[in-house]
Amino acid sequence: MLVFLSTLIGLPDIAPRLGFQILAHQLSGGRLFPAACAGTGTSPGDCPKYTFLVWDLYLPEVLLALTVGAALGLAGGALQGVFRNPLADPFLLGISSGGTLGAALLYVYHIGEASADLFLPLFAFVGAVGTGLVILVVARGRYGSVETLLLTGVALANLLSAVLSLVLLYNLVGSEQVTFWLLGGLQLADWQVDGIAFGAVLVFGTLLCLYGRELNLLQLGSDVAQSAGVDAPRVRLRVLLLSSLVTAVAVAFTGVIGFVGLVSPHIVRRLLGSDYRLVLPGAALVGALFLLSASDVSYLAFPGSLLPLGIFTAFAGVPFFLFLLYRQRRTTTMGSG
Amino acid sequence: MTDGVPAVNIAHVSVRFGERVALHAVDLRVDRGEFVALTGPNGSGKTTLLRTLLGFQDPDEGIVEVFGRRVEELSVRDRARRVAWVPQSEPQRDDVPLRQYVLYGRYPFHGPLDRDSEEDREVATRVLSEVGLSDRADDGVLSISGGERQRAILARALAQETPLLLLDEPTTHLDIAHQLDLLSRVRALSRDRGVTVIAALHDLNLAARYADRIVVLSRGRRVADGTPRGVLSEDLLARVWGVAADLAVDARTGLPYLLPRRLIEEKPAAPASLSPGPVHVVGGGGSAAPILRSLTDEGYRVTAGALHLLDTDAETAEALGVVAAVEGPFAPLSDLTRQRHRLLLEEAKVVVVAPFAVGPSNLANLEDVRAFVHRVPTIVIEAPRDGSLDFTGGRATAAREALRAEGATFVPDAVAALLAVRSALSTPGHPTSPRAAGSQG
Repeated sequence: MLVFLSTLIGLPDIAPRLGFQILAHQLSGGRLFPAACAGTGTSPGDCPKYTFLVWDLYLPEVLLALTVGAALGLAGGALQGVFRNPLADPFLLGISSGGTLGAALLYVYHIGEASADLFLPLFAFVGAVGTGLVILVVARGRYGSVETLLLTGVALANLLSAVLSLVLLYNLVGSEQVTFWLLGGLQLADWQVDGIAFGAVLVFGTLLCLYGRELNLLQLGSDVAQSAGVDAPRVRLRVLLLSSLVTAVAVAFTGVIGFVGLVSPHIVRRLLGSDYRLVLPGAALVGALFLLSASDVSYLAFPGSLLPLGIFTAFAGVPFFLFLLYRQRRTTTMGSG
Repeated sequence: MTDGVPAVNIAHVSVRFGERVALHAVDLRVDRGEFVALTGPNGSGKTTLLRTLLGFQDPDEGIVEVFGRRVEELSVRDRARRVAWVPQSEPQRDDVPLRQYVLYGRYPFHGPLDRDSEEDREVATRVLSEVGLSDRADDGVLSISGGERQRAILARALAQETPLLLLDEPTTHLDIAHQLDLLSRVRALSRDRGVTVIAALHDLNLAARYADRIVVLSRGRRVADGTPRGVLSEDLLARVWGVAADLAVDARTGLPYLLPRRLIEEKPAAPASLSPGPVHVVGGGGSAAPILRSLTDEGYRVTAGALHLLDTDAETAEALGVVAAVEGPFAPLSDLTRQRHRLLLEEAKVVVVAPFAVGPSNLANLEDVRAFVHRVPTIVIEAPRDGSLDFTGGRATAAREALRAEGATFVPDAVAALLAVRSALSTPGHPTSPRAAGSQG
């Protein structure tokens, strides 16, 4: 239903009835509404054009928004768990930036162009996982410290974007294509991209969701977790790798979309409590809905424009981030008993 | 339980952190069902020893075995089914319900896809009742009190159903009532369920009260090991902690307890026979206690009187080993007590009169002092001029004034009294205080 609505929101030129018929026609394999455009006042000659718009252009965007939103929400929830830090998020920690750099290198230097759809996430993954490992090493032994973690992430994100700027500066050809990562958007969506993204997020995301119990125990500190049977270093490494993987998939196809990973787990925790067995799948769901809504709102607010989604999520996410920072400070001073 | 394999076998274990030796060739064998208190000064290696048992710390030398298995050969999960750990405190950020928190302890019994089983829930219910938190099961861990939280941590560890339970100073953040409550629950578990317990404890009296056996570590070495009665001694406290303490035996439990007095900074005080004195202190109601302590710390022989049983001064005198004439609680001084008091006054080289509250029951003290004021230097600490310590309608104030008239030295406070005692006992060619004598000799 939401998918359907969102598809129509993205297409102001197409009447709801026409859009509905096209979707129903395609989904049912032609059994419903055998003539997709009949009875909508559309000339039969324009029907393939509209079908292309609805089915091959906008529906993949909607589905990609759901997939990427789920990936980011899940990665955010898992990273907040593994770093025991409510402010962790793939964007803030520089993991997204690492992925962007990896993907940008591929674009700029035309490596493996033939099957870019597969190579993109691969390169993004190398960048994202590399960044994640650096953070894990730097923040080692100080997982509780919000400051160390965020500063490491911010420093890395800055370094990585400096490297990215350098790469773009010396390679003006192809740099326009890269620019969209820095802003984040769904324009790359098509059925093949959706398939790769969905498959990867489904596999890695499911694996990630299996670490709920371990993340619950890690909240009590490595030592306690270890004494209760959790192999803390191994779990941390695996969760970080899987989070980087799903983040990499998102970054590869939609660029840097921040704050979805930060906001979604908090909403879930507020609704369902702090059990990571619920927080992880919940954050995926909320993230998917959050990103789709953001996309819808951006289409509604600026019809016809291609406002990058990353800008939009930042507008919603930054105030929330500041609110969390403020609240965290209050609870650490009050709850130190 | 049949083959005689001990719960814990630590053999020749050494752990080094760079230059610092945390454990030095420690041997320790703990039988099943024992409750062992691990104690020693800060930095003596207690926590490190527990960490080797948990597999958190690999020893540089030696072997660590739990129920006959080398700790480092066990998987993390297998370890968690044998050894559970109660830390000093646990970071709590999320307000999870207590029951769910306790269920976290069931982790070693689960695969990644398992849900909490009926058995898990039964165990959670049982351990919550064992720690007395059944009625708080649905409350969040952040909403319960500190004492309850420590019990919750214990419950979480108990949910692992391990035969060995390690506690690392579990009572540090608890008030005295919760300390007793927690340890008696652990004691009961050890007795009823045969759980082997090793608890690092700072408080020797708690250790003596609850443990079967006390193991003392000092600078990474095991320096004492045995029953509380066999291990606790004034000498041990002096050697290991550098603290002068009095050892007594609790008449009801028969267990030893230690009353720490002061740090042993340099050399111990001179032996009693060579100590100057005696200095006799007259007081009551706690007024003499600080003076008694200062004088004994300085190495003087000290006597006191006439005091009432249950009074702070009487208890202080007893704890310090000060000879005192003591009357029954709240009773007027009997002839016998006064006689003993006068004997002490007669032997005294100096008499100090504390600013004590005087009522009809102890007015005789001042009269007795007056009888000796001509024969022995008498130092009187001024009582408040408003008569707030005089419950005799002015007779006490009059008695004090009489002492002044007959040549007693009046000083404003206890410090001045101490100085006056020093100068009264110093003779030309002799040091002014026995402490000074000790450090010069």
